[in-house]
Amino acid sequence: MKGTDQYIELWRAERARIDACAPAALNARREAAAAAFERMGFPSRKVERYKYTDVAAAFAPNYGLQLATAPAAPLTEAAAARYGTLADVETDAVTALNTMLVQDVLVIHVAAGERKEHPVQITNTLRATAPLMQNRRLLILAEAGAHVQVILSDRAAADQDFLTTQVTEVFVEPGAHVELYDIEDTAERCHRFHQVFAEVAAGGHLTHTTFTLAGGLSRNQTDVRLKGKGAEAVLLGCAITNGTQHVDNNTLIDHCAPGGVSRELYKYVVDQQSTGAFAGKVLVREGAVQTDSVERNANLVCTEQARMWTQPMLEIYADDVKCSHGSTVGQLNDEALFYMRQRGISEVEARTLLKQAFASEVLNEIPLEALQQRLHVQVEKRFRSCEDCKLCAK
Amino acid sequence: MLEIKNLHATIGGKEILKGIDLTVRPGEIHALMGQNGAGKSTLSNVLVGHPAYTVTEGTVTFHGKDLLAMSPDERAHEGLFLSFQQPVEIPGVSMVNFMRAALNAKRKYQGLEPLDAAAFLKLMRERRKIVELDNKLTSRSVNEGFSGGEKKRNEIFQMAMLEPTMCILDETDSGLDVDALRIVAEGFNKLRTPETAAIVITHYQRLLDYLKPDVVHVLIDGRIVKTGGPELALEIEQKGFGDLKD
Repeated sequence: MKGTDQYIELWRAERARIDACAPAALNARREAAAAAFERMGFPSRKVERYKYTDVAAAFAPNYGLQLATAPAAPLTEAAAARYGTLADVETDAVTALNTMLVQDVLVIHVAAGERKEHPVQITNTLRATAPLMQNRRLLILAEAGAHVQVILSDRAAADQDFLTTQVTEVFVEPGAHVELYDIEDTAERCHRFHQVFAEVAAGGHLTHTTFTLAGGLSRNQTDVRLKGKGAEAVLLGCAITNGTQHVDNNTLIDHCAPGGVSRELYKYVVDQQSTGAFAGKVLVREGAVQTDSVERNANLVCTEQARMWTQPMLEIYADDVKCSHGSTVGQLNDEALFYMRQRGISEVEARTLLKQAFASEVLNEIPLEALQQRLHVQVEKRFRSCEDCKLCAK
Repeated sequence: MLEIKNLHATIGGKEILKGIDLTVRPGEIHALMGQNGAGKSTLSNVLVGHPAYTVTEGTVTFHGKDLLAMSPDERAHEGLFLSFQQPVEIPGVSMVNFMRAALNAKRKYQGLEPLDAAAFLKLMRERRKIVELDNKLTSRSVNEGFSGGEKKRNEIFQMAMLEPTMCILDETDSGLDVDALRIVAEGFNKLRTPETAAIVITHYQRLLDYLKPDVVHVLIDGRIVKTGGPELALEIEQKGFGDLKD
């Protein structure tokens, strides 16, 4: 069993090896991160943002830590100047832990005015013969007017215990456009914590989507600061859970400047004994006049045992704003089910079609069309058992 | 083909059907008339197996089989079709996917291969014409944003796709203007064969002018109190149900 102390001890013991193969910019932030982590410890359920997930339990098993053996390339000046400036180690223990242990950072840097024609796809495939912990870091820098789409896919290729922490920092400079798609399709024994910190400057746009198709414990925390005039953020999420899966999405959209636009839609289909949680806060600061914000969370709870917690929050300190928030938790529509059965559709098939229809509302919002189509197929596969799925044969 | 004997049914513990006897033979059209609350819709819901209703007594055989022992989808596969009084909107489920799932489930039940995409779409195009249903409607979600008349036309379109032998029209005329009523009724008539039969629930003679029932029944308080020929419907149109109540 590992608690806060053991992770601190691990870092002290391995510090020299960790530093030896990591860029200086990462090493420079370790000390403060370790101090913050030691001070805070793993958050208990009394910590507001972590009340739906038992973090200490997820970190308790003895995971091995694989350290790099070859030195990583130094960060560019632009990346080094930004690394760790958004990801707040002082208030978030998981971010602090990641910053303390991480050895490398993947940087996607798009120069001013440059438009990436094709999406950048990053696929992480988990493969190990013993329990493994990995700490990952991503930094996206879209300079003024740049345009980039990034797809992050997590897969598992081994039936093993995995624990992943990932911290992503996204800098959307004036007029830039970033789409970040996070698709988690792993397995029951995979636990993942993904902390996203994004900042959108004037006239910039960020779309961030989180699709949890399969996994064990998934926790995604997304903080977006709309710091420039007219900055936009679209957050989309879809979680499909069964078995003993647990998915917790926690978001904060921070409107700091006038004329910001935010749209948020998260949908969950929670089946069997699985649990889902959504907590989303929209904060409209003083001066963020003419903010336009819509937040919605809709959930389908398919069994008596499944559980869903939902907590949309709105805090407004500015006049002349247009904001709405709401959430629903419900079951499949019995009259629709019966209508379909009267037409000869079996109960199982009718339920599958209705669940897919529920999830498709989020999928249809995805601007990247090829990905949208692929996700429609993946979602259908997710809802069907192997026997009644003909998708692989096509 | 359909034989109902001494059928009693309840909803939420309240008895609505109190002993219905009705026999429908191939080729026949039976009209079922009666005031609101008499049990007309309950009878149609019980026949198609709506889970809210409980049959407490009686039997129903359909093509010689025990209808009440079948699941709602099996009843559909056996050839039973209900044109709903209020067709349900199903956002996110496209008409194409819905119809394909229904048709292929029936074909599977009959031991046939599923229709391929091209053959299926061709069939959709043909059958749409029967009720003059716009292409735009069949590319939408099931009944979503359809007008009242479009929903009823869509019911008859689905009937045309599934080719049932026994149709129940539950107030298919309600909410229809004169032109829509004609399209729906003529569409239905085009689908009739000597092997098909129907039970038509209605308050009005105007639908029966098109469908020309062979037998008319009057349902009062869960029982059929009078059965006659087409002239009975005309009599009710003029005098109401008052005289039949005793």
